[in-house]
Amino acid sequence: MSLKPLLRKVFLVDLIKGLKVTFHYQPPSQAITEQYPLERPVIFERFRGQPRLKVDPDKGNSLCIVCNLCALACPEQLIVVKGERNPVTKRKEPVSWTYDLSRCMFCGLCAEACSTDALELTQDYEMALYSREGMVLDQAALERGQEPVRYVK
Amino acid sequence: MLDALKSYLTAGNTPGEAGSMLWATIYILVITLGISLAVIAMNWLERKILAHMQIRLGPMRVGPHGLLQPFADALKLLIKEDIIPQEADKLVFWMAPVVVTMTAFTTFLVVPFGRTHAVTDMNIGVLFMLGISSLGVLGIIMAGWSSNSHYPLMGALRSSAQMVSYEVAMGLAIVSAVLMTSLKSGTGTLSMIGIVEAQNAQQTWFIFKFFPLGFLAFAVFAIAMIAETNRAPFDLPEAESELVAGFHTEYSGFRWSLFFLAEYAAMLAVSSIAVTLWLGGWMRPFPNWLGGATWDMAFSFVPALSLFVLAGMCLLGALRMPRIPQMRIQTVGLAMFGSLLGFVGLVLLVPAVRDRIQDIFWFVAKVAFFMYLYIWYRGTFPRYRFDQLMRVGWKVLLPIGLGVLIATAIVGLFPQLTSVMAGVTQ
Repeated sequence: MSLKPLLRKVFLVDLIKGLKVTFHYQPPSQAITEQYPLERPVIFERFRGQPRLKVDPDKGNSLCIVCNLCALACPEQLIVVKGERNPVTKRKEPVSWTYDLSRCMFCGLCAEACSTDALELTQDYEMALYSREGMVLDQAALERGQEPVRYVK
Repeated sequence: MLDALKSYLTAGNTPGEAGSMLWATIYILVITLGISLAVIAMNWLERKILAHMQIRLGPMRVGPHGLLQPFADALKLLIKEDIIPQEADKLVFWMAPVVVTMTAFTTFLVVPFGRTHAVTDMNIGVLFMLGISSLGVLGIIMAGWSSNSHYPLMGALRSSAQMVSYEVAMGLAIVSAVLMTSLKSGTGTLSMIGIVEAQNAQQTWFIFKFFPLGFLAFAVFAIAMIAETNRAPFDLPEAESELVAGFHTEYSGFRWSLFFLAEYAAMLAVSSIAVTLWLGGWMRPFPNWLGGATWDMAFSFVPALSLFVLAGMCLLGALRMPRIPQMRIQTVGLAMFGSLLGFVGLVLLVPAVRDRIQDIFWFVAKVAFFMYLYIWYRGTFPRYRFDQLMRVGWKVLLPIGLGVLIATAIVGLFPQLTSVMAGVTQ
C-alpha cells in the first residue's frame, strides 16, 4: 500500500468527510419534507388532475358540442356523452355526461382531442373518496368540480 | 428520620460510603427515573436528529415538533398484545429481557455523576461496570436461543461473537487509563470516583495525557463501545436488512420495549465509563486555562444558562408555529414546556442548588455529547460486513490497544527508568 491511502485510512479521512456531510444537512430548514395538509405542493401548469367541463362565462351554457371526440380518444372508454340539438341555437348540447374517474389514468388524450377546449384536466388532485360510486362524475359534478372529502374528527 | 436525612447532606461523600441506606435508595430511584427519562429523550432526539441528517423532518404531529411521540409510542407498546411464540422456551424467553434490563441498570450503581452523586464508591468500580455490562450478552443469547427461530439465533450468535471480541480491545484501553491513575499518587485505582480524582490531581484529563497515547486509548474505547452496544455501524446483530431485528425479532410490546430500554441504558453506561476515564468525569472544562474563583463562578451559571437557551428555543418555536386553530393546543403546550424549562433554570440559579447540581450537569453534558456521536455515526456510516467487523476488532483495535498499553507503561515509568539508567552508568 502506498503512503497516501494508508494515511487516509489511519486518520479516518473518508469517515470524517462523511460525518461532515451529514452534519451540514442538519438545519431543519433544509428538510424537503412537505407537511401536506398544512403545506401544499406547487402544481405545475401541465399537471393532469381532476377533469373539468368548462362553461361559457358569459352565456352560462356548456362549451361542449357533443362531438364525441373525447369518448373516441379515451383508451379506457370511460367517457359517455349523449346530446341533442337545441332547436333555437342550432347547437348540439349535452344531455348526459359521465366520466368514470375510477378507471381514468389521466393520460389527457380526451382533453387533447376536445375541439372546443371544453374538457380540461385541471391541477386539482384531491380526488380520494370513500366509495367507488362517487367516482362516476356527471355533467354537474364535472362543471362544479369535485369537492375533496374533508377528514373531520 | 429527618435528622438522618439532613446529616447526610453535609457529609460530602456518597450514600454508600456514608452508610445511609435511605439516601442510597433515594439515589437509586432518582437514577433509575433519570435514565428512563434520558432514554425517552434520546428516543425523540435520535429520531429528530437522524431525520434532519437525512433531510427529513422526523416526528412532527404528536405534540409540538413531535415532542410527545415517545410517550405515544410507549403507550402503544404497553397496550400491545404480549406474544410468546408457541415453540419458544417460555421461561428463558421471559427472563431474557429482564436480564438485559437489569444488567444495563445495575451498572449505574457506580457511575459518579459528581463527588457525592453516586450510589456508592466501589473500589473495583470499573471492573464492576465491565463485568456487569458484559453479562448483558447472556441476556441477548438467551433471547436468541429461546425464541426458537432462525433470525434471532443468528443475531444472538453475531452479537456474542462481536461483544466478546470487542471487549478485549475495550479492556486494554481501560487498563491503559487505569495505569495513568497511578502516576502521581503511586498507587492506581479502579474506583470510578478515584479515577476522576486522579485526573483532578494530575491537572489534566486522561485524553490529553501523554498525547497521543491517552487519545489513542480513548479512540480505541470509543470504537469498541459502539460495537459493544450493537449500534451502527456495528449493528450486525440487529441488521434490519438481513436479520429483521436480530435477537429481538420474536419479541413484541412490553418485552420489546425492555430491550429498547436496555440498549439505550447500556449506551449511556459505556458513555459514562468513557467520560469518567478520559474526559474528567464531573469536572468542568478548562480548569487550567480558565481557572480561578471568578471563572468557577462563571461556569456555575452555565447549567441555568443552557436551560434558559432551551426555554428560549421552545418559546421561539411556539412563536413560529403555524397560526391555525388545529395547532393552537400544540403552540400553547410548547410555550408552557418552554416556561417550565425556564423555571427549572431559575431554580438552578439558587446558590445552594447551583453548587450541588453543576457536577451532575457537566457529567450529563459530556454523556450527551457521546449520545449525539452515536446518532451522528448512525446517520453517516454504512454497516460493516461481519468479516470486516472481526478484522477491525482483532487486527486493528487489539494491536493498537496493546501497543498503547505498553507505551503508556514505558512513558509512565520514564522518570524512574532514567534515574535507574543514570545509576547504572555511574
